[in-house]
Amino acid sequence: MASGKCKHKWKMTNVKYGFLVNEKCYHCGMLRTYFTFEDVPPKEEHKEGEHYWNYAGSAQSIKFDMKCAECGEVVSFEKLMGLMQCMYCDDRCYFNTISRICESQNIWVYGAISFDVGHEADLAPEKLVVLTDYFTSRLRTPGKKIIVLPGSLRKNEETCHGLILRDVGMLSLEPEEEAA
Amino acid sequence: MTVKELADKLSLKAVNDIHDKEIHGVFISDMLSDVMAGAQAGNVWVTVQTHKNTVAAANLVDISAIIIARGKAVPEDTVQMAERVGLTVFTTDLDSFQIAVKLYEAGIKPA
Repeated sequence: MASGKCKHKWKMTNVKYGFLVNEKCYHCGMLRTYFTFEDVPPKEEHKEGEHYWNYAGSAQSIKFDMKCAECGEVVSFEKLMGLMQCMYCDDRCYFNTISRICESQNIWVYGAISFDVGHEADLAPEKLVVLTDYFTSRLRTPGKKIIVLPGSLRKNEETCHGLILRDVGMLSLEPEEEAA
Repeated sequence: MTVKELADKLSLKAVNDIHDKEIHGVFISDMLSDVMAGAQAGNVWVTVQTHKNTVAAANLVDISAIIIARGKAVPEDTVQMAERVGLTVFTTDLDSFQIAVKLYEAGIKPA
């Protein structure tokens, strides 16, 4: 990604639709998010190791990879669960501070929320650069930029009110009990 | 055509200040996922979605304005979010097809 002579021109590839599923372990309180391509998000309680996972909500979303239109390199974003925009919920949060500073310069900050084996784990910096380059390359507004930063800059992932870009409120496409 | 010119031509009702930008085509979908994957910068986005997430997604891909179809009320937090990112949100009583026809007649086509 960072090496070589190619000035990459990233395009989305392998775009797949599915559900982001949130689960909570009632034993230890841990939260996790995963992506499923099933038609309906699984809701059954299940045990994995020492955790008892319970369904805690879902929303439609996409998974994708990036492919360079010039050299053909493909970068996987298997662990990316979504992009998040800060809602300024906590003045002591680094993400809040960075977002406010950048927005005053017309630079819009999005957090990459990613999980690895059930635990939130940041994408490699090189992958954040790919996302930043890609979304910035899509812009037309003069002076506007997008920057994608690690989700771990949030002070507290469990209390964060950041907006994760996913299809909430798609009532006709969600299970009836959620739409009610 | 600009956002302001479009508002005048189609008598669209803005729920926040008009942030004038050049319009380049139209994108119609009710899924943020579609917008993230397929919309192009400068598109006017026609949707029935009113959640503030729509504004965050629109800002990411540089949508020029959002038109909320079918007369759906826009929540205040969505209006605030639109002001924060400098994006105009319109409402119309027309449905998505009807507004698409009017956009076409105004010379705005899928980019």
